[in-house]
Amino acid sequence: MAYSEKVIDHYENPRNVGKMDAEDPDVGTGMVGAPACGDVMRLQIKVNEQGVIEDAKFKTYGCGSAIASSSLATEWMKGKTLDEAETIKNTHLAEELALPPVKIHCSVLAEDAIKAAVRDYKQKKGLL
Amino acid sequence: MGSPCHFALFDLQPSFRLDLEQLAVRYRDLARTVHPDRFADAPDREQRLALEHSASLNEAYSTLKSAPKRARYLLALSGPELPLEVTVQDPDFLLQQMHWREELEDLQDSADLAGVATFKCRLKIAQDELHESFAVCWDDSLRRAEAERLMRRMQFLDKLSHEVRQLEERLDD
Repeated sequence: MAYSEKVIDHYENPRNVGKMDAEDPDVGTGMVGAPACGDVMRLQIKVNEQGVIEDAKFKTYGCGSAIASSSLATEWMKGKTLDEAETIKNTHLAEELALPPVKIHCSVLAEDAIKAAVRDYKQKKGLL
Repeated sequence: MGSPCHFALFDLQPSFRLDLEQLAVRYRDLARTVHPDRFADAPDREQRLALEHSASLNEAYSTLKSAPKRARYLLALSGPELPLEVTVQDPDFLLQQMHWREELEDLQDSADLAGVATFKCRLKIAQDELHESFAVCWDDSLRRAEAERLMRRMQFLDKLSHEVRQLEERLDD
């Protein structure tokens, strides 16, 4: 499988790898998995009082495309409001990373992780 | 679902609990009878049939001998086909998976072969438990959601055990 340069870049220098305290009331955690390839992805956001994502972290066990998709997702989420972050679609991630058709599901996983993290945060704050 | 059923090919009733050694013996016997080499001098039609039969036998065997594939096949027999690529949100299980991956990474960094062996035992126990839970609920239509969740978990553990084997090979070199 030939990876695009952008995938390789994110794979070799992943942005925002790490972990936040899932118990922190300002932190939303999204935990998703893709059973067919065994990928596990954790994406976390820290949201300030203005409802802006001031930090995002991820940890992904999976292929290069899954790591790149989640790394790019955290980059894009920083500085966005929750509503803006929720408009990030897998198609945007896949296009930016030039993912081949067989790897599209890696970007779907990242989109689902974004949604799960936002939902977790909103649930904590009683916004849902 | 293509006919005939994978289980019927081996003269078995659909079931999750399966004697894998017996299955392997039956597979070898059946594979011999339909091996394309035996039909080298037969008319084209028979050659083609033997080839098709041999292909479906191989597919049936590779499906049945793998626990997650067998589980998925059984659920598809008794309900709608299940999508291959899905996102699961099974938080506690995924959290545990994450911990196990981290542990495996540490074992790799420290090249700890004994640790890998212990890890493998724990994984095997978890797999056996999962198989046991699935065996008692897959054909209960009221517990279908649970059976699907267990099947997805099996897929994760299967992938993990594959990675453990790869790590063992790397450390052995």
